[in-house]
Amino acid sequence: MPRKIKIKIDELKSELGVIKNLELNIGRIIEDWEEPEGQYSMPKVYELRDWDFKLLKRYKPMYMPFCDLCCLCTYGKCDLSRDKRGACGIDMSGQQSRIVLLACCIGVATHTSHARTLVEALIDKYGRNAPIDLGGEVYVEAPNTRLICGIKPKTLGDLEDALDYIETELTYMLASTHTGQEGSNLDLESKVFHVGMLDHLALEIADIAQIATLNFPKADPEAPLVEIGMGSIDISKPVILVIGHNVLPSTSIIDYMEENGLYSDVEVCGLCCSAHDITRYSPKKAKIVGPMSWELRFIRTGVPDVIVIDEQCIRTDIALEASRYNMIVISTSEQNIQGFPDMTREHPDVIVEKLVNREIPGAYIHDPDLVGEVAVKVAMKVYPLRKKYKKLPSVEEVIAYATKCRECQECDKACPHSLPIMNAIVAAKNGDLSLLADLYENCVACTRCEKACPVDMPILTMIVKASDRRIKSEKYKIRVGRGAIQDTEIREVGSPIVLGEIPGVVAFVGCPNYAQGGKEVVIMAEEFAKRRYIVVTSGCAAMTLGMYKNNDNKTLYEIYPGVFDAGGIVNVGSCVANSHISGAAIKIASVFAKRKLRGNYKEIADYIHNRVGAVGIAWGAMSQKAASIAAGFWRLGVPVIVGPHGSKYRRMLMGRKENEEDWYVYDARTGEKVYVGPVPEHLFYTAETMEEAMVVAAKLCMRANDTTKGRAVKLTNYIDLHKRFYGTLPDDLPLFVRVEADIPITMKDEIIAFLKEKGWKEKAIPDPTLLEEMVRKK
Amino acid sequence: MKGAEPWQTAEIPGPIKAFVISEPARISSILKSARRPLFIIGNRIDKKALEQGIISLIVDIAGAIDADIAVYGGIYRDFKATNYDKVRLVPSMEVIDRVKDENWKGFDGKGRYDVIIFLGFPYYYEWLMLSGLKHYGDRKTRTLSLDPYYQPNATISMINMDIDKWMEVIKEIRSNLLGGE
Repeated sequence: MPRKIKIKIDELKSELGVIKNLELNIGRIIEDWEEPEGQYSMPKVYELRDWDFKLLKRYKPMYMPFCDLCCLCTYGKCDLSRDKRGACGIDMSGQQSRIVLLACCIGVATHTSHARTLVEALIDKYGRNAPIDLGGEVYVEAPNTRLICGIKPKTLGDLEDALDYIETELTYMLASTHTGQEGSNLDLESKVFHVGMLDHLALEIADIAQIATLNFPKADPEAPLVEIGMGSIDISKPVILVIGHNVLPSTSIIDYMEENGLYSDVEVCGLCCSAHDITRYSPKKAKIVGPMSWELRFIRTGVPDVIVIDEQCIRTDIALEASRYNMIVISTSEQNIQGFPDMTREHPDVIVEKLVNREIPGAYIHDPDLVGEVAVKVAMKVYPLRKKYKKLPSVEEVIAYATKCRECQECDKACPHSLPIMNAIVAAKNGDLSLLADLYENCVACTRCEKACPVDMPILTMIVKASDRRIKSEKYKIRVGRGAIQDTEIREVGSPIVLGEIPGVVAFVGCPNYAQGGKEVVIMAEEFAKRRYIVVTSGCAAMTLGMYKNNDNKTLYEIYPGVFDAGGIVNVGSCVANSHISGAAIKIASVFAKRKLRGNYKEIADYIHNRVGAVGIAWGAMSQKAASIAAGFWRLGVPVIVGPHGSKYRRMLMGRKENEEDWYVYDARTGEKVYVGPVPEHLFYTAETMEEAMVVAAKLCMRANDTTKGRAVKLTNYIDLHKRFYGTLPDDLPLFVRVEADIPITMKDEIIAFLKEKGWKEKAIPDPTLLEEMVRKK
Repeated sequence: MKGAEPWQTAEIPGPIKAFVISEPARISSILKSARRPLFIIGNRIDKKALEQGIISLIVDIAGAIDADIAVYGGIYRDFKATNYDKVRLVPSMEVIDRVKDENWKGFDGKGRYDVIIFLGFPYYYEWLMLSGLKHYGDRKTRTLSLDPYYQPNATISMINMDIDKWMEVIKEIRSNLLGGE
């Protein structure tokens, strides 16, 4: 993509003289990056299509349509069931891939608008030349940007070129979903990969911009521990709750308090990624309430006096919910105005007065710097007036609500997790609130049950009341998001990861729509950390990991180090910090293996797919953003596992291990095609249970390049987990043992006997690549 | 019929919807007529039903019609403990991916399955797996949801019913196929 005008003249003879080797760039970026530019700087979708198709040949889309119809245009509704086509000609496979692409476009648009807002605001404040410094040991500061755009951003202003590229490409991809456009399901899937790649670029831009300017931890493995949990919120002070993902309005709250000596007079806490980022900004002052599923739980306690919302993953009925408890809501993002009057041009004191006197239902303030003053002043004024709202109903009131129950079971039917709500309410009728309290762990506080209830019972509030002791004890520690992975860390672990001696990198990411509570994520993360995998985490999943204590009263963050090394549990930060996870994989190829990054996507993705044993587990993935984040990993060839609700993304990318022809690579040394087994077996996979996810994750960490020692370590984990849950050796073991030296030494006799019984034969271990152009022998 | 409404709110089906058959005798006949039946079992079987021995009932039914049982996750050990020799340890998504493939000849390589029986999954999860087979499976393959909920994406589904009633139905099916109590 021509991003700027570039003129290169090798030799020009004119009347004025001879000009040699003149290179002129007109535009913002003047590169002094000595690395030669690859073929794919700012690639179009068709330039990487052949790579996508290589992946899609191995990992074919498996569709599970959520709906038989298409209702996107006025031709319809069209019945696409079985092999029917709609009025526009689209078939079911095309439609499913189109919906996935739409979801991913929404995700990318969200991250990109977030990044654009941040970059513009931070340029206004710190200037276009503000340097991008992510920490002394971070030399490859923007691996996604270098790889995808072929630029090495040095200043905030440089990031705008990458944003321009994303916005252009995203428009093309979204256009593909229009009626009468792309009809090939595989081309639609290739576009899904393309927007996924764009997504990681947007994530990276957003996070490096805020790290560089807002004094966040800079790749610090020992980033501070901060408080998390509803019980850690000091309710003896006015409470400001920030919700969303864009940290700028939240920072102005902290700044205003500091500038006005109000540091200890107001409690500032957050939900979702704004909470991550406000604690990165101010670990001493800010606290985290919890992941997004804690939003209504916390509101129903009546505690927040002021709610400042920015963007993404905020309940759209936040104003309604807040009004029930006389809370003040301030919206700050044009993506989420909530119907409030625009008060940005008013004097802060006028806004405060109007809000406190309830002359306006809430205020939209799009100047982040103004938000802090208004929020703090309003919180201090309404706090004494709101004390009567800061309480849960009494036990008697809960019982009284419960007596209205008609036992129609509509609540059970509405619950996405099929929780036994009606039984709990019936028990509450008889004075037993324990079954309501039991629901707390697995409830995601969506309140679908309340909406379904014909007698308008406040079921979530009843659950929260029944769990009030547990809520008060919700006091935990989480390590603040550290941001990027250091180049020095990459150098240390590059070899053991690529050779397979560190069994893998397992990333717990995404939303908290857990089918059976967050505890499962904690169990899985600890299991892999104990097994000396590198565990990385971000977003709501990272919060979940901090919300359970072991028998010594400690959370995982207090037990495991935050270093990117075997046995570490590494919180990189908010959703946008997912770019550091893909970035770490890219940096292994670059920093450790010295592969060229610049505009060299295919080679790097091929390297990662065949050599970096990484897998993502998005156990509660819910959103379109989660879909686009996953898609970015897919294009790099990194598999992603989702929990049961993830099946609603409606298509998986499944390998077929028994199809031998799918699992050949080129041996880069000889050019021969070599069978390497199904490594990794799937690219996108739904697991029904935690046990399944653990076994599959261990398996998906195997790569074609594993050394025998490395494969033995990976097999040890796969076999051990399989035996623990199923009591047997995995049936597919022969596919993963290439030579006898792959066999874990402690299980050698048993496995050799098993392999003999299965007719196993030795396989070659090549220098693997899916790209013919990477073959060195010509 | 209220029992033939989707169990979970907003799971609106259609246009192709399951035949509703809840009479144990008719379900027994369908199972008996299967040439190559396969059970796919999930990990969310109701606790009360587990306490009342539903696993041995399922295994008895499978044994009576010589069915394979595909199962994964924590519940696998319960099935393995029955010593039924056609219990297959395989994740549900991998089974679905293969069942819809016209070239797949089953776990024993002897041919495609003609009746696939689902039981014990989260409602939405089973809904989606059944949808995958409805649209991409062989038309000759019939899917049967034996869960106590109406699953409209199956070829044949039971209606919504409580666990006690469901256990009676399952016991009666077993009895029809094997005789005795």
